[in-house]
Amino acid sequence: MELQLQFGFGMMDHSRSMIDAWNGGTVVLSPRDLSAVQLERLAGDVTSLPNGRVLLDPQFYLPHADHERLTSHDYWPASYDTNDFWSGAELRQLIAKLSDLNRKLACEAFILPSLFAERVDEDWLAQQKVIIDEAQDSCDRPLFATVALGADAVKSDESIDEVLAAAETWSVAGVYLVCEHPKGEYLLTDPTWLSNVLDLVAGFRLKGKSVIVGYCNHQMLALACVGANAIASGTWMNVRSFPPAKFRAQYEEEIKQRAIWYYCPQALSEYKVPFLDIAKKQGVLAQLRAPEELGSTYADTLFSGVQPTAVNWAEQSAFRHYLQCLRAQATGARLDSFDATADAHERALDSAEALLELLHRVGVRGQLRDFANAIDVNRAALNVIRSSRGPMLRRNWAAI
Amino acid sequence: MVTTAWVASQFPELSAITEYPHGGQKWVFGATHHHDGAVVIKLIKPDTNADRVQREILAVTQVRSPRIPTIFEQGSLKAVAGVGDVVWIREQRVDGENVRQVLARGPLGPAEVLRLGQHVLEALTDVAQARIVHRDVKPENIMRATDGTYWLLDFGIARHLELTSLTATAALSGPGTLGYAPPEQFRNQKRELDERADLFALAVTLVESLTGTHPYREGARDRPEVLRRIEQAPLPVPVIAWDATGKLFDLLTAMGQRRKDCRPRGAAEALTWIKEIPMPAAA
Repeated sequence: MELQLQFGFGMMDHSRSMIDAWNGGTVVLSPRDLSAVQLERLAGDVTSLPNGRVLLDPQFYLPHADHERLTSHDYWPASYDTNDFWSGAELRQLIAKLSDLNRKLACEAFILPSLFAERVDEDWLAQQKVIIDEAQDSCDRPLFATVALGADAVKSDESIDEVLAAAETWSVAGVYLVCEHPKGEYLLTDPTWLSNVLDLVAGFRLKGKSVIVGYCNHQMLALACVGANAIASGTWMNVRSFPPAKFRAQYEEEIKQRAIWYYCPQALSEYKVPFLDIAKKQGVLAQLRAPEELGSTYADTLFSGVQPTAVNWAEQSAFRHYLQCLRAQATGARLDSFDATADAHERALDSAEALLELLHRVGVRGQLRDFANAIDVNRAALNVIRSSRGPMLRRNWAAI
Repeated sequence: MVTTAWVASQFPELSAITEYPHGGQKWVFGATHHHDGAVVIKLIKPDTNADRVQREILAVTQVRSPRIPTIFEQGSLKAVAGVGDVVWIREQRVDGENVRQVLARGPLGPAEVLRLGQHVLEALTDVAQARIVHRDVKPENIMRATDGTYWLLDFGIARHLELTSLTATAALSGPGTLGYAPPEQFRNQKRELDERADLFALAVTLVESLTGTHPYREGARDRPEVLRRIEQAPLPVPVIAWDATGKLFDLLTAMGQRRKDCRPRGAAEALTWIKEIPMPAAA
């Protein structure tokens, strides 16, 4: 499973640097965070790197969005009338302009626009079909249908079934899936939500569609178990989970409440640096160090013997450490068979659980980013998938 | 009056006519045809839904399958004395007994289960190719011929996906047999209905054939409980001692998913799958 970079605030340099360091990779560009000129410049920078690729998320989730930069892009319609838009020239124009932009940016695939669905209904399904049909004519690169679902839609089994049934008629190479987390949680505590996302991805994959899941954090490493092709993640929380409100002007940027978090990949948890001081005092700091094989040297200084808060570990290093570790974890998450992949994910959960118990005993906690409450969520979701999709995934693993 | 003698008088090309036990909607006779050999002649009673009868005939004539008896000829007889107008069908006769009768003597062995599954899936692959859903796969509608082959019978409630449905859209439940029809069928979700409904029914039939008991009906108090069991839990597939690779367990688990999207994509895929299951050495 590939890790793609979900572009967000302040990721210009990270994108260039990480794709360069990785000797290739994909950046999902964000018109909300980049002006037209910046989009072109960054796309050029990335695609000029060896194996560098870009995709454009058109972010047409809320057509009434009033985010200034997002709506300033040429493709954004000047006005949006629910009744006329989907049957008239405006949709055609939106698709045509986005197609041109994709061409200009040399995108690997054309991620189609789509509305954010708080619930899946006939209208939304019809709009999906209209978009996909309209895009067939301007198809000079693989088409990816966007499926952007609200938390309640994700939790509804009927909605999942309806999306999957409709997808059988979608003439696209893949799906770009973004799902709102329930209650704005960063780490999920609802196993139904997660099992339904896994189910959606499995369903798409078994229909022969590629799947990129956007706005992911490390909890979504579970997606390797259902054959997801890629997850996309980034620096701040608002690119590691999907907050639809960020496309509105009044969205409160979390960037105002900066904190530096260290990602401990074997605990699937993140820690504020002062808690690493506690770990040092309690003699367990070494156990928080990321395994060497994940290839991150960005956090070495925290483990140099000095008190972690004293080394002024920088935000930039924290982000790069997270992305480097997550990329290595994602790349290694998919194994030769469904069972091997699912078993490996369960083993990773077991190891994280054992480590977290030890860390909790000595007072080292990740607070809202501690994975302890998420472990059983992933286990439960994976169990559901083993029962419902296991036989088909097992049988078709080599083909998906 | 429909008797053997009357049938002989109406169909002079038939000989050795014998009356079969028959259901409420038709009289059934076995016979020998001078050209087509062993046949059955079915005479549909006048009060039977004529559209359904025509759909059944259409289904069987559209599906060309070596696992489904061929309809050789059809017609109608006007004003049969004491009966009224009668539609008749003359079709290939399969001598043997239906799977319900076989199961009355106990569960099937491994080789029989695999052969039953494979032959019915061959039939369903042909049915699906004709864009038809059988909708009533169950032991009563599967015949084991005297040569050990299995045949799929009775397209009385088959759904032609390209034709207008004969079931009212507002009807709360669709046609089918309790305990075999999947949720999308008994909930009459017509848009959802496709060949995967028949895979579910076959999975139930195969589990019943393996164990000798119906996985949903056994111990259920009433009809609603059977429906609840189907909607709320996956098909309870037993551990199959002789299925060393687990492939049959997986196939039945996949075919028996209550959500059709989790089932194999069609009969053809399930057929390929079952053909890969190794026959147990002792079978």
